[in-house]
Amino acid sequence: MASLAIIRSQIESRLPGVLSPYVPPEPEMLLTGIHALDHKTGGIPKSGLTQICAPSGVPSGRTTLLLSLMQEVTKREEFCALVDASDCLHPASAEAAGVDMSRLLWVRCGGATGMRSLEQAFKAADIIVQNGGFGLIAVDLGNIQERLTRRIPLSTWFRFARVVEKMPTALVFLLGHPGAQSCSALTLHLAGGKAYWQCSQEVSHAHFLSGIEYGIEIGRAHMRKPVQSARFNARFTAKAVGV
Amino acid sequence: MLFGCIYAPDFPVQAALQDSPASFLASAVAVLDGPESLLKVVACNDPARAAGVAFGMTKLQAESCGEIRLQKRVIEHEESAQRALLDCVYKFSPRMESTAGGVVMVDLTGSSRLLGSAKEIGQALLHEAEAAGFTVNVAMAANPDAALHAARGFKALTVIAPGKEAATLGSLPIAVLEPPEEISEVLFHWGISDLQSLASLPMVPLTERLGQPGLHLQRLARGETQRELVPADPPLIFRENMELEEPVELLEPLAFLLNRLLEQAMYRLRERSLATDHVELELTLEVHPEQHLQADSPAATVTSQHQRTLKLPVPTQDARNLLKLLQLELNAHPPVAPVRKIAIEVFPVRSRSIQAGLFQPLAPEPVKLEITMARLRSVVGGEDAQGRERVGFAQTLDSHRPDSFAVLPSGFTADAQPASRRTCQLALRMFRPPLAARVTMREGSPATISFERTRTRVTRAGGPWRTTGAWWDQRGEWQRDEWDLELNYAGSVGLYRVFQDLLSGQWFVEGMYD
Repeated sequence: MASLAIIRSQIESRLPGVLSPYVPPEPEMLLTGIHALDHKTGGIPKSGLTQICAPSGVPSGRTTLLLSLMQEVTKREEFCALVDASDCLHPASAEAAGVDMSRLLWVRCGGATGMRSLEQAFKAADIIVQNGGFGLIAVDLGNIQERLTRRIPLSTWFRFARVVEKMPTALVFLLGHPGAQSCSALTLHLAGGKAYWQCSQEVSHAHFLSGIEYGIEIGRAHMRKPVQSARFNARFTAKAVGV
Repeated sequence: MLFGCIYAPDFPVQAALQDSPASFLASAVAVLDGPESLLKVVACNDPARAAGVAFGMTKLQAESCGEIRLQKRVIEHEESAQRALLDCVYKFSPRMESTAGGVVMVDLTGSSRLLGSAKEIGQALLHEAEAAGFTVNVAMAANPDAALHAARGFKALTVIAPGKEAATLGSLPIAVLEPPEEISEVLFHWGISDLQSLASLPMVPLTERLGQPGLHLQRLARGETQRELVPADPPLIFRENMELEEPVELLEPLAFLLNRLLEQAMYRLRERSLATDHVELELTLEVHPEQHLQADSPAATVTSQHQRTLKLPVPTQDARNLLKLLQLELNAHPPVAPVRKIAIEVFPVRSRSIQAGLFQPLAPEPVKLEITMARLRSVVGGEDAQGRERVGFAQTLDSHRPDSFAVLPSGFTADAQPASRRTCQLALRMFRPPLAARVTMREGSPATISFERTRTRVTRAGGPWRTTGAWWDQRGEWQRDEWDLELNYAGSVGLYRVFQDLLSGQWFVEGMYD
């Protein structure tokens, strides 16, 4: 044993660290601007794939979360790209959320090029990842039918995860279900919200939607060791402009 | 005094071969000019001369000399080549003269401290011209005419020391002076064949017999003349043309030709420390005349010009990036007929120089981003039904019209301020186009709503909020009542923005609060 230790020390004196296991550096995190989430996860990991899963058709806060994230990124004077598979971004909402629109490259899928929106979205995401230079690349597949997104092979997710691994870019997918599985560094499940109304009188035009409270469940966060397999819940509220 | 002269022998041939592959440069080439029925050789290179081609031969005679590449003279090519030659010398001195086709003079007086000795400058000039694709002779002398005649008569570089003009030029034939034909004939009969013989003739008898032109020729032969250069101030037009013998149908070979033109244009820009952010491509198409005769056929609407414009957010000198952008542009908007002629004009601007900071935030490289955006357009399409770009940077418009925004090709604005911090805001997720719906009302409020094959009860409603606008424009007018509805949807709560178009009475679901 003593001789083994001597050999080891001699090798490490010449090639430091060669016999030690590789410990990847702690990933840089992007704050989302939602305190409850930032407190639990530290934000969204850069150099990793994050999937935000929420059922379509009900308010889940995924758009609010995405706009808040983009606001934080553009506030740092970094650039964002949004691949919008169903062309559903409301620029006025984004502006109201504080997103610097001159730093947001918006790709609106759905043009008549002989490809489906989902295919266009993945091709567009691939091109943007290749270009580099973006702090955040978001792909919104939230309105795409689940039966289509379930057909995306795991190798596609794996490829995206491996490509962004070496880049200072956060790659975020909005999905109806957790399709990226183990390829994602962080999985967030967003649940249906509770609406708050302001009504001073009985007449309907005096009723105002003042805010929605959403729930977040952190499904997987393996950017931090040990892997957080336990689920955490958090809540946040989005308020109407001027409220 | 120091003057330099660049002389490109067989200039029409060199101009014609400027855009040809290097393998053609060694082949026998003759340039023809004149009416189509009587084309005659106006220039040829050494291999063609060796094959027997001579000035003034008809096309048929030239063809009989063997494998000769015959090209028709194109004045635009020669003008473009002459501009390229001027650009070569502009780097050394702005005092230059475009003496003739393929001949450029430059006044280098006083530049020895900056550029080196006459020999060094001459070698640099030779190197510059070769880099631009020309085979030239360069001569340096104390007067412009001596430099010109030395460049015409001697190969490669000749440097004439001051006072040695007559001795250096002496061995050259009389033809380099290009004397008038009658004087040339007289000198031939006198047995005067070189400049040394002409220079040694007695001045007074020569003037008595040949007059002032003869005396002038003798002074040229002695290298004694002095004259001022006629300054050439070429306009900053960076236009490259190419006329093709055979029309090109495919985009790939066309890209090869575009590359050569862009390289040439970018070379000229770099020589002047300029860049470009605006490129115009003009393709002349070969549209058959009979296609125009049939007025009803779709081909009758085909135009013979195909123009594309590139506008970049930042100036560039990179021909490769511009080529990629042009390729993507032509893929998206291909010409409808084979291409006969190509013209590229780049508009010069000052090149951008920015010192990058160590702590500068991450940003995509502007020109690379432009290429990426062009590639994205080829994937997702160019414009939507409202004519808005599908790829770009959104800008909300100063209008009360719902969902009014523009998509700009560039978001790089100098006055862009970082966004101020806001609290978490309610966001709307749009349906484009809006979903058609059926709504039943009860006591002035929506009670049930049906859309996307689902009928549901409205549990809460806020509204209506009426907006109208553009009443002066029949096509753009809108009148609508907006509602915020809380629905029982898929076993959960759904929050939607719904509106009724008051002009048609139709209900639509515009978006979902998310």
